[in-house]
Amino acid sequence: MLSRLVLRAAPAALRALPPPPVAVGVLHATRQLHTTQQSLAPLPPLPEKGGEVRHGLIPEEFFQFLYPKTGVTGPYMLGTGLVLYLLSKEIYVINHETVAAACILSVIIYGVKKFGPDVAAFADKLNEEKIAKALAVKNEAIDTLQTAIDEEKKEQWRVEGRTYLFDAKRNNVAMLLEANYRERLMMVYNEVKKRLDYQVAMQTLKRQKEQDHMIQWVEKNVVQSITPQQQKESIAKCILDLKALSKGAHATL
Amino acid sequence: MAGRRAALKAVDWAAFAERVPPNQRAMYNALKTRSDALTARLAALPEKPPAIDWAFYKAHVAKAGMVDEFQKKFSALKVPEPVDTQSAKIDAQEQEAAKSTAEYIQASKARIAQYEQQLQKLKSMIPFEQMTFDDLHEAFPETKLDKEKYPYWPHKPIADL
Repeated sequence: MLSRLVLRAAPAALRALPPPPVAVGVLHATRQLHTTQQSLAPLPPLPEKGGEVRHGLIPEEFFQFLYPKTGVTGPYMLGTGLVLYLLSKEIYVINHETVAAACILSVIIYGVKKFGPDVAAFADKLNEEKIAKALAVKNEAIDTLQTAIDEEKKEQWRVEGRTYLFDAKRNNVAMLLEANYRERLMMVYNEVKKRLDYQVAMQTLKRQKEQDHMIQWVEKNVVQSITPQQQKESIAKCILDLKALSKGAHATL
Repeated sequence: MAGRRAALKAVDWAAFAERVPPNQRAMYNALKTRSDALTARLAALPEKPPAIDWAFYKAHVAKAGMVDEFQKKFSALKVPEPVDTQSAKIDAQEQEAAKSTAEYIQASKARIAQYEQQLQKLKSMIPFEQMTFDDLHEAFPETKLDKEKYPYWPHKPIADL
């Protein structure tokens, strides 16, 4: 009876596969193929992970399909029944190869379970490195372009400064001309003044010399004209004056 | 004295200095020092020389007529203004500069447009995770393998691997 149930359930289950699009879980999205009009829009990105499977072999959809009718244990009962049927009717014969298969499979499964995640991580890392390199190249290109654009804008702004340059040049020329002109005026003035001052200085010098000479001459003559008699008289007078002065000085003290 | 006083335009040296590119700094410095030297020289000279006191000289100089002669010649003297030979050249230079800068700005704008275009292309690229190799060759044509020139794998010279 169990076998009949299995026989009836099996074709229905088989007909059910492949399942209609069912979204189970966030990362698991089935792809719509050739359902819409042909378009050149880029395809949506491929899903990250494949469909969920239980025990590495049986897709989750099978269990979900049987859940409404048989509950949680349904597919397991089905599986057990199938296996028992195969064994009991000797459709599958147990021989030495069964043992070999069991050993090999157990080793393989152990290996995969133990080292699987590491290998997967390593492969993912390789891929990520490639993508990261490409991304770095792209970002660098974007940055270089941006800086190039900024540099060009800056150069344009710089170019606007050329008015300053020409103003400065014209100013320089004007200042030079003006300074030159003023220097010439000053030179003329100085020369004329020098000459006039020279004349005035010459005159004053001459007059001074004449004055000195005259004074000297007058003095000489006066000294000559002092007779000895006059000298004695003047000396006596001086002495009298001095005595008077000294008396006056004593009095004040 | 009409042609004498070309009014000096105030030059904003700070703004000027900002716009000088680093490889022309030396020239700018030379220009500035020359300009400053000229300003100093100009400031040191008075605008008019002081007036000569003719009355004093007339009273003091004995030689007759000398002062009068000097005075006459002095007031008749016309100091020639220095001739401006460079302003025309400067104006010509300015015209030329205006033209070449206009050209340069044109070229610069063309370059900017080019860069902008490339930038847009790069920015609107699909992320690498979603690209196929065909998409990659479209976005970066240099990655495309030349199957005619190198028909055997790896389709590029070994040195490029």
